[in-house]
Amino acid sequence: MSPALLRAELTKIRTLRGPLTALALIPLVAVGIGVLNGWSVRDSIETRNPRLRPDFTAEQAGFDGVQYAQLAAIVFGVLVVTAEYGAGTIGVSLLTAPRLYLAKLGAAVLAVLPAAAVATVLGTAATQLALGPHGASLLSPGVPRAMAGAVVYLALMVLLSAGAATLARNALVPLAVLLPLVLMGSQILSVIGATAEAARYLPDRAGARLLTVRPGPDDLSPAAGLAVLLVWAAAILLAGWAAFRHRDV
Amino acid sequence: MTYAGPMRPPHPACDSAGVLQIRELTKSYRRRTAVDRLTFDVPEGRVTGFLGPNGAGKSTTMRMILGLVRPDGGRALVHGRPYAELDAPLTRVGALLESAAPHPGRTAYHHLLWVAQSNRIGRGRIREVLADVGLADVAGQRAGGFSLGMTQRLGLATALLGDPPLLVLDEPANGLDPEGARDLRELLRRLAGEGRTVLVSSHLMAEMAQTADHLVVIDRGRLLADLSTAEFVARHARARVRVRAREPERLLQALIAEGIAVTGMADGSLVVEGVGTHRVGAIALARGVTLDELSTLDASLEEAFLRLVGGPR
Repeated sequence: MSPALLRAELTKIRTLRGPLTALALIPLVAVGIGVLNGWSVRDSIETRNPRLRPDFTAEQAGFDGVQYAQLAAIVFGVLVVTAEYGAGTIGVSLLTAPRLYLAKLGAAVLAVLPAAAVATVLGTAATQLALGPHGASLLSPGVPRAMAGAVVYLALMVLLSAGAATLARNALVPLAVLLPLVLMGSQILSVIGATAEAARYLPDRAGARLLTVRPGPDDLSPAAGLAVLLVWAAAILLAGWAAFRHRDV
Repeated sequence: MTYAGPMRPPHPACDSAGVLQIRELTKSYRRRTAVDRLTFDVPEGRVTGFLGPNGAGKSTTMRMILGLVRPDGGRALVHGRPYAELDAPLTRVGALLESAAPHPGRTAYHHLLWVAQSNRIGRGRIREVLADVGLADVAGQRAGGFSLGMTQRLGLATALLGDPPLLVLDEPANGLDPEGARDLRELLRRLAGEGRTVLVSSHLMAEMAQTADHLVVIDRGRLLADLSTAEFVARHARARVRVRAREPERLLQALIAEGIAVTGMADGSLVVEGVGTHRVGAIALARGVTLDELSTLDASLEEAFLRLVGGPR
């Protein structure tokens, strides 16, 4: 992965509307959902709404916006790759650099890291501000670690999505699998008794441990969750790499 | 479109191994053999026309040369090495392929920008090649809005970006209007004049006869001919002459008496095969027949090509 290739891949990202929009949506969604969530919870607390979750903590609520921002991160990871396949741009890319897979992944991570960091800091801060007197400090125990975990989580979800898109060579299939999975699929699977145990090891459920401020005794630890997500991402990236190498254009 | 770029000094000679060598190159798709033990060398510093009917295996061969398709057997060596092993490949080989298109959502300038960055080519080259192919005015427009001809020109600009000593161009005339086709011919001649090697594919013999110094003809993935254009013309082109006479009957009998093959056409003209205009003129003069027209038929090369590949399909 030479600096020249990395630079070219970053230029590719910033000169197309699709990936750039998805990237910008990561902090926008985190802050937007964070603010709405904070207001709504503050209202529930002050009106003593019985539907407020009993396990609610202000610290953890700060990460709800980031959870939704992962949808934009997944779209970004998919679009970075599928921009190559729509019109046959992959041919030009392979002519410029027969081995560009790593450079593309590297550029995707380089692009998403600042967006994810901004999304996490502003998203959690916005939630606490919207909670007003019920908000917690960003320096409360566990919060800085969860913030770092959120950035790592978003970056890994981008890599996983890019790998899935490399396998599929279109945006539709990976988006149709990944978006419903993180939106509701794994939640549904985790409340059904038979699949609950297995659902803990789905990439988004395991990865969500990274964003957990105070893990419960029965949960995977943040480190274990990271390990599970890393295995998922590595497996999909390797499969994508193998397909990429053996494909004719 | 004007290709009036600055003249560059000729490129220094590359590896003695040859600029582009094809050895026993073979590729099959399921049961169909696309390229069948193809072997030829592309002569340096000249324009080589890569000819064959549609589906002959030209594009597959070019994609194997450029590392986009893995051969089942054989090798294609660029400057003595497989394409994938070249460092900053665009500065060694420029390519135009149908399966390598700019992204429709990117502007022409941004397309060339990332391509240049990937191979450490200076930004200044971008404006040069855009002017070279006549796209300077639309540099800021998205490629998706380009006509087929403009897309072809952007592809040519991409190929020229690295100032490479070798160009591999797959059907570059596709989508060009007559003026664009003429500019392309001039560009190819200019590139060869600068000492560059050009391999250009086409399914049109007439187009290649005007441009190429050398011809490689393939069909069904196999090599049919590998010779200079002059040799091809001498060997394959049966001279055909159209002649229109005041007294066609007398001329017809005179030509037949000389043992020359003649066909009478519906419009009263005669088509003579196997001899040139000077011979027909001389016979007419000897018999005192007045001629209204005496011309060479251009289609002869095209027909020679079609005979070579087994007739039209």
